Amino acid sequence: MKRTLNYLGERALLVFICIVVLFPIAWMFLTAFKKPIDAYSLSLNFEPTLQNFVTVFSHPWNLGSMVMNSVIVATVTVAISVPCAAIAAYSFSRFRVKGRKFLFFLILSTQFIPAVVIVLPFFVMFRQLGLLDTRIALIIVNLAIVTPFVIWMIKGFIDAIPQDSEEAAMIDGASRLRVIKDIVLPMAAPGILTSSIFCFILTWNEFLFALILSRRDAVTLPVGLVSFRTERGDLWELMSAAGVMITVPIFIMALFIQKHFTRGMTAGAVK
Amino acid sequence: MAEVRLVDIVKKYGNFLAVPQLNLTIHDGEFLVLLGPSGCGKTTTMRMIAGLEDITSGDIMIKDERINNKPPKDRDIAMVFQNYGLYPHMTVRQNIEYPLKLRGMAKADRKARVQETAEKVELENLLDRRPSELSGGQRQRVALARSIVRTPSIFLMDEPLSNLDAKLRVTMRAELKHLHHELGVTTVYVTHDQMEAMTLATRIAIMREGRIVQLDTPKKIYAEPADLFVAGFIGSPSMNLIDGAVKNGVFRANGVEMPVQLGDRDGVVLGIRPEELDITQDASAAIGGKLYALELTGESTLVTLRSGPVSACARGHADFEAEVNSPCYLSPKDGARVHLFDRDSGERLA
Repeated sequence: MKRTLNYLGERALLVFICIVVLFPIAWMFLTAFKKPIDAYSLSLNFEPTLQNFVTVFSHPWNLGSMVMNSVIVATVTVAISVPCAAIAAYSFSRFRVKGRKFLFFLILSTQFIPAVVIVLPFFVMFRQLGLLDTRIALIIVNLAIVTPFVIWMIKGFIDAIPQDSEEAAMIDGASRLRVIKDIVLPMAAPGILTSSIFCFILTWNEFLFALILSRRDAVTLPVGLVSFRTERGDLWELMSAAGVMITVPIFIMALFIQKHFTRGMTAGAVK
Repeated sequence: MAEVRLVDIVKKYGNFLAVPQLNLTIHDGEFLVLLGPSGCGKTTTMRMIAGLEDITSGDIMIKDERINNKPPKDRDIAMVFQNYGLYPHMTVRQNIEYPLKLRGMAKADRKARVQETAEKVELENLLDRRPSELSGGQRQRVALARSIVRTPSIFLMDEPLSNLDAKLRVTMRAELKHLHHELGVTTVYVTHDQMEAMTLATRIAIMREGRIVQLDTPKKIYAEPADLFVAGFIGSPSMNLIDGAVKNGVFRANGVEMPVQLGDRDGVVLGIRPEELDITQDASAAIGGKLYALELTGESTLVTLRSGPVSACARGHADFEAEVNSPCYLSPKDGARVHLFDRDSGERLA
């Protein structure tokens, strides 16, 4: 009897948490297909429309350019940060250099600084360089944000690769770089892929720096959402449609990586 | 094929001296086993030969060439690792082929060589499998095939059989021995299993705390252990080591009286192998005590007796039977080798 009550209690709690977490997402998806008149209604009985998606891509919202900005910033950030992080992670994992632990801590410690503290120095620096409102500025900032995290993640995966295989390859005739290319990277591929997707998600969702450093040309999707707050009020149906555009790719990626992601977070911890 | 010389090799890890001044010559075509307990420096020594570990000082010579600063890939060696060191993302074929690929061998030649090597180690039907789909023995064979495919000058084997079960270990041991006989390549083999060392080696180097305690043929090491450590390390069951003193040409300990060729001396350890003792009913035998345990091994029975702190074991007939705690006597066989060591220094006295 007590066991059944415990079971029911557990299930009820889980259902409650799911409702709390999923309600805003479900509400966003439903609102994206509603007409403006139904936007504030909680009723599920409405006539669905795709007009909101058409509207957000037309003038004056021009979500297309924001999608392009987000895709370019996120892709280039991943393309630069992951290879650099992979090499750094390999070095941290394999070479016993003096001060290695301190250096690794130093890299990770950049993650402890609140973003809002460094946004102003970045703003001043990019203004001096004439890079304000450019994708390059956003890419540089995002690189600074995600690279330490990606180094940490990939290091966990590389730590888990037995060194015997690498040493065997070196004896078989491979140089260190060849070992990395032929042995380490293929063996760490799931981890590197996971890290890449994670890096993409972080960059894709980055809001604060994009808000401060972009005005018109380099506006990304999360910042673009703010433009739906107008003097006519908040255009929830358009905001939701744009929200769906932002969320769907991330959902798909999250589904793909969730298994590897958990491993990536724990690989270094339990070796 | 090649001769390997280690000249005054020292290896330090920070302040820890892992190998203090090691000198060793491994002859061309020889199967040399580095044998010793865990942490004695045998694997470190092998890794220094491989180039996987830097040496603090000294020289490593292969074919009279100093190779201290050569990377592993340029030393013309092959190594079999304890954990196989296979490439899990490659098939067996690709694993074996990899060293040839790195040397730029043509594809057709590579294919033929892989096939030939796979047949040598009976892997020809498993070439398209990945290592994860193989058993421990098959994986070990892949590691072997990968090391022999390019006929290197030197084979290094780091406890290659230690992850296999007892039966497979015996089979693989024979395969290794046959392979060495067939290829005749200089081989350095690291193990802590004295049975492997005895069966495989041309010569054994017994190591302790980074030093070579004895370097000789298995037969010689078994017959004439250099010191107390070697005496206790080699042989299964190990040599009986009895602590006592010599007076008037007789070694005496609790329940033991045995004539020996040594002057009066305290702190002497007498060593005699179990197979050189006879079990007897004669109460005047050299060793007397109460039967402590009988262990049937199949082909023989190990008889252990105790007399106070003294314990001695003899290898008796498989049919031997007696009551535990009954009186039991052991006497050395005719021509039995009796070893005498200094208790404190472990040095051999006679």
